[in-house]
Amino acid sequence: MTKTFLAGALLSASIFGLAAPAFADTELKVYISSQHQPQVWRKVMDQYEAANPGTKVTIETGGNTSEAQAQYLNTIMSAKDSSLDVLILDVIRPAQFAAAGWTSPFEGKDMSVYLPAYAEANTVDGKVVALPAFADSMFLYYRKDLLEKYGVEPPKTWDELKAAVKKINGGENNQDLQGLSFQGKAIEGAVCTFLLPYWSQGKNLTDNGKLTFDKQAAVNSLKLWKSFVDEGVSKKNIAEVATDDTRKEFQAGNVVFAVNWSYAWAQSQSKDSAVAGKVGVARLPAMTGGEQATCLGGWEWGVSAYSKNQDGAKKLVEYLSSKDASKFMAVNGSLLPTHSELYKDADVLKAAPWFADAKQVVETAKPRPVTPRYNEVSETIRTTVNAVLAGVTTPEDGAAQIEARLKRILR
Amino acid sequence: MTTSTLTKTDRTDRQPPAWTKMLDLSDRALAVLLLAPAAILLSLIIVYPVMRLIYTSFFSLSLTSGLPAEFVGIENYQLMIEDPVFWETTWNTVLITLITVPGALFVGLGLALLANIPFRRQWPVRLSLLIPWALPLSFAGLIFAWFFHSEYGVVNDVLSRFGIEGVIWFNSPNLAFAAICLTIVWKTSSFMALIILAGLQTIPRSLYEAADVDGAGRIRQFFEITLPLLKPAIVVALIFRTITALQTFDIPYMMTGGGPGTSTATLAMYIHQNTVSFLDLGYGSALAVVMFALSMCVTAVYLRIIRTKE
Repeated sequence: MTKTFLAGALLSASIFGLAAPAFADTELKVYISSQHQPQVWRKVMDQYEAANPGTKVTIETGGNTSEAQAQYLNTIMSAKDSSLDVLILDVIRPAQFAAAGWTSPFEGKDMSVYLPAYAEANTVDGKVVALPAFADSMFLYYRKDLLEKYGVEPPKTWDELKAAVKKINGGENNQDLQGLSFQGKAIEGAVCTFLLPYWSQGKNLTDNGKLTFDKQAAVNSLKLWKSFVDEGVSKKNIAEVATDDTRKEFQAGNVVFAVNWSYAWAQSQSKDSAVAGKVGVARLPAMTGGEQATCLGGWEWGVSAYSKNQDGAKKLVEYLSSKDASKFMAVNGSLLPTHSELYKDADVLKAAPWFADAKQVVETAKPRPVTPRYNEVSETIRTTVNAVLAGVTTPEDGAAQIEARLKRILR
Repeated sequence: MTTSTLTKTDRTDRQPPAWTKMLDLSDRALAVLLLAPAAILLSLIIVYPVMRLIYTSFFSLSLTSGLPAEFVGIENYQLMIEDPVFWETTWNTVLITLITVPGALFVGLGLALLANIPFRRQWPVRLSLLIPWALPLSFAGLIFAWFFHSEYGVVNDVLSRFGIEGVIWFNSPNLAFAAICLTIVWKTSSFMALIILAGLQTIPRSLYEAADVDGAGRIRQFFEITLPLLKPAIVVALIFRTITALQTFDIPYMMTGGGPGTSTATLAMYIHQNTVSFLDLGYGSALAVVMFALSMCVTAVYLRIIRTKE
């Protein structure tokens, strides 16, 4: 494809007598969702432009949730639109984009420089379909001050968390103080909500694309979340709570424990935060008798298969996923690095000291099922979690519905 | 025919250029020629997409499979019959139509009668009628999602001031459904009111004056004069409202996203989900064909009503 393009370009150049330098002017358009600090990425693009004279990079922003972003890109890509060269993709999407033929593979790319989880997430059928932008996973945020006041250690199991909340709530006697905030709205985050206790029981959802659904583990997971609502640990309208609601409630000082991604850290330490300096970050608790598990997040850079400047776009993506760019984003945007050695880097640790412990968490984080039909898997799980938390469906019926629908999707 | 012979004799004197001969068309041919641009445009933007949609609905075409389109006959339609979510979303759509169309008609009629009262200043009334209509659907959905929010919403706040404990609207399928229907009625009754108001203003005052002389009361006047003369306007308003009700998407999409579970999802949302999110174009097309057929049936029924009335 590239060869025919080059040949065509050379042919037209010789026909029209264009001078060679005209080709040096490369214009690239990068799509970044507005939730991912495009203003900080802009500085990385500026550095790239400075190092590569003749290249101009513009940023298009849009879609402030993973779903909104996916819908936008689905529309653009199914129309074979060539206006975007480089795309930022949620870690769950490379498989779908590869199956649809929407991203160009990076041939012969050495993925061992990245954390293993991201080398794996970006490799589909032996082909590297995208390169990592930044790492992420879910953590347990807690109020250090309140836990110290009541002599409670960060909980290792969900049952310990319940007991801790009861102890703290009993002492504080504050109606507005919620024990645990998590995502119950039918959004992508609710998929992780379901999977955290499910994985913690040592079960996996898929194995090599085949469904390995454990119904009892699913029932236990849904029951656990419902019990938080029924026992008053989480508030009754948890089915309305999205990721950023959790962040806001915690930041306003109304929550003892919160399940959230790493991005919540920077804002919880900002000037307008009620909890600055009072926040601890720990691994997520386990089911009693199970192992601690968390959900792998992070975003990737893909090159659009319809980009008219494949080589230029790939070169830019190589830079955006390089160690330098990763370090810059860790220091300036508090995004977790995808390069292992950066977790020990002095500059990075100065900006976000807890990154020192985060590497182990990211390394043990589990990926959501890798399948081209992920959107259907996600829809099935998140609407069921939402229905169970709203009290519309029982955990048993919910697990049965998930099983029946996943069986049809992951045949 | 006579006209054309006349023009011919006129022209022989002036020796018209040869090409005008070609334009010397019969009435029928002229009609075809004049209608052609509109017909071509309509075929391109309406007939072709609809045909293409029906064609695609007979194929298995999913962009996530990486496989080329394969002809599967009516398999997509068979899948649909077995799909509980299809029936649930279709039922929700029909229910929304059955509730919000009459709801918007009654509220709209009331608003139109109110706006027709000769106030000293007409514009504040007319403006407040126009605002809900001019507001984009998704904005209305977002605004009402906040109104009905269990913690920050104004609805629960007002309820609590009257000593009634607030409810979590979006936690219950019935309450969420009620909230959506209320929002749709609020949003669409102003459109009804505008059309009915236009109809009201065509009714001559002399009819009411004559009725006054004959001793007919206000209520009698309404049922004997106002309502019968408003019928054409009401039917037009109903056609438009019913079709947009069958296509309900924006308001439930913004308010509940179909939740809790899929209990407030509409057929249009399910089509959107299958095509834009799941990229299953074959199945999505089959669903869209069903919605198209539904809309056509409703239109046919209304057109029938208009025709028999005339």
